[in-house]
Amino acid sequence: MSFLYAKRYPLYAKEQLMLGLGIAKGMIVTLKQFIESYTKKGSIFTVQYPEERKPIAEAFRNFPILVYDETPEDPRCVACDICAKECPPKCITIVRDRDEQGRGLQKPKLFDIDVSVCMSCGICEEVCPFDAIYMDKEFELSAYNRMHSLNFHQEQLLRPNSYFHKIRPTDAAQIDAKRKEKEKAKNTQPGTTA
Amino acid sequence: MLFFYLLATLTVLGALGATLMKNLIHCALCLILFFLGIATFYILLGAEFIAAVQILIYVGAVATLVLFAIMLTQNVVGETTLKGLGQNRWWALGLTAAVIGILGSAIHHQRFSAASYAGRLTTQEIGQALVVVYALPFEVVSLLLTGAMIGAIVIAMEDRKKKQ
Amino acid sequence: MELIDQLFVLLKQAILKTSESFLPPVFLPFLSILISITAIALFAPLTMMYLTWLERKVIARMQNRFGPNRVGIYGLLQPIADGIKMLTKEDVVPLGADRVVHFLAPVAVVVPSLLLFSVLPFGRGMTAVNLDIGLLFFIAVSSIGTLAIFMGGWASRNKFSLLGAMRALAQMISYEVPLVLSVVPVVMMTGTLSTQKIVEAQAGWRGFHWYLFTPWGVVGFLIFFICSVSEVNRTPFDIPEGESEIVAGFHTEYSGMKFALFYMAEFLGAFAYSALGATLFLGGWQGPLLPSWLWFGLKTFFLVFVMIWLRGTFPRLRVDQLMSYAWKFLLPMALVNILAAGIWHYLSFPLSLIVSASVLLIGFIALSRLAPTGTRLEKRVYRYAE
Repeated sequence: MSFLYAKRYPLYAKEQLMLGLGIAKGMIVTLKQFIESYTKKGSIFTVQYPEERKPIAEAFRNFPILVYDETPEDPRCVACDICAKECPPKCITIVRDRDEQGRGLQKPKLFDIDVSVCMSCGICEEVCPFDAIYMDKEFELSAYNRMHSLNFHQEQLLRPNSYFHKIRPTDAAQIDAKRKEKEKAKNTQPGTTA
Repeated sequence: MLFFYLLATLTVLGALGATLMKNLIHCALCLILFFLGIATFYILLGAEFIAAVQILIYVGAVATLVLFAIMLTQNVVGETTLKGLGQNRWWALGLTAAVIGILGSAIHHQRFSAASYAGRLTTQEIGQALVVVYALPFEVVSLLLTGAMIGAIVIAMEDRKKKQ
Repeated sequence: MELIDQLFVLLKQAILKTSESFLPPVFLPFLSILISITAIALFAPLTMMYLTWLERKVIARMQNRFGPNRVGIYGLLQPIADGIKMLTKEDVVPLGADRVVHFLAPVAVVVPSLLLFSVLPFGRGMTAVNLDIGLLFFIAVSSIGTLAIFMGGWASRNKFSLLGAMRALAQMISYEVPLVLSVVPVVMMTGTLSTQKIVEAQAGWRGFHWYLFTPWGVVGFLIFFICSVSEVNRTPFDIPEGESEIVAGFHTEYSGMKFALFYMAEFLGAFAYSALGATLFLGGWQGPLLPSWLWFGLKTFFLVFVMIWLRGTFPRLRVDQLMSYAWKFLLPMALVNILAAGIWHYLSFPLSLIVSASVLLIGFIALSRLAPTGTRLEKRVYRYAE
């Protein structure tokens, strides 16, 4: 085997001429950056955060919201409990609303999501058969205490469909088209009306 | 006059600390205080060049050397000098008193003549004296220093040659 | 123009005249010195604070980012915020540390750095203490700071601190020698060690009498500048306090105000050495239109900017590279510089220019041939194995 090692030798004349030039070149590069940071437009690419924000991608997801069509008292959610069962860290708590006789209604009385536990995986959105729960993009949700402020109740989670269109236009358009088709299919199918 | 007594007290405290402290680093730092005190004496006497050179050489180089040497010793925190002597303590004190007595009486009986040089000694005159009047001792001293440096390098290099 | 130029001198004289009426004359010299001391004691920490601001902004711009710009407009109140933060930190002293020495080390570092300001000629007639041996005083006092760094490193009872302190000590001593030698030609030419007279000797001829414009002046200035960057432990020579090398070197175990004092000593030293470089080689406060103290400030800040520029550009030198650079290159070069200065003095123009420049070039070429820095990969040959 042959081993290579770094042998030091006195400089050649040509290399000697370049002594000190490396230092000068380095310093000129830095000086150029310094001057360009004042004169060239995009040379400093820092985003000064609270004043400037970068646009967020459409598919960005953070914490879930519940969508309603007309009124907040009538959400799309029917309290089927699928999202609570599928949620990996089990952050969703659902209690079905009951009427005066004790029969179950098709809406949740209590819908709590503990956003300090939620890991933003989006599984609840994928498994909901009623297009009720979707992922929102809000991330500036700092709070002063965890148990009180970061446990979101149903009133905090409900959003109108127009909001959903605003944050995810393409998905919302697709979902709406699908629901309209299902409505049309339900209405035109014979024997489904009660 | 007041300044002299203040500075003399500081200097003597430094000297006492340099001999009596337990921790060798503290001794070295008191020695530095002592050197600074001597430098202020030179300033009081009007020899400012010597004062600056005293700081440069003694505090800047000799004290550094002392600290390096302390670095290489093992028992940096030990007993004070007096306690470490044990039985021989009384002999040491007696001899010290004798030496102080002899030196003190010699200085006391000496008649110092009035300074023959009136006025301040400027740097220019020191420089001229060194190269014009005392040129030979100057060259001899520089040869001595060169010899010392070469000797130090030879001593430090010897180990490497032996290893190879 | 004269009024603005001598503004501070006239101010001090006015204060002295007004206090003449109600103070006994024995106190007047003390009051005069006290005014100078107060001015320096106010000016130095303020300068240091805004030098830290300047450094952060300049280095940030060189690295394509903004510096601090949240605290006050352009971040100008950032040093004050830093000061408040340092003051409110807990003062941690390691368990086995030597408490007295640990406490004294930051103090002992700042005091020499402040003393350095007393011999700098800030303007025409504005040296705080006009010593005849000003330059020697400067160099002597700056070597005390070295010892204080060692004190800090030893007292922390931390292997990294001790290692950093030893390296700092070795580095600062070995760079003091070329520093002093590079200043010797200036003293030779002027014939005096007083900083004020050195500035006055560079007057006239529209600035071409600055020592920078002579062959030995250029080389002397470069050597002086490199050695002064090393004396204040700045990158690329900041092995003793290198942030990624040795935790934080000799000031690892210091927190809060003590660390701020070490930091302050470093910046004060940087400013003082830049000021001295401006005095010795760049003509001090000489300059055409502006007041003298403004010229001094501009030249000093230019040199401080170059120090900050060096910090933003280069990686750190390894400790063996550092030491070999000082002893094998800078020291012989400084000696050759003295020879060239002597030749310049005794020959007449233009022969002096040609001969001294060529002496310096020959010295440089010879020394750089001796420093083996090129490397190439070679196959190792074993004498007995093949």
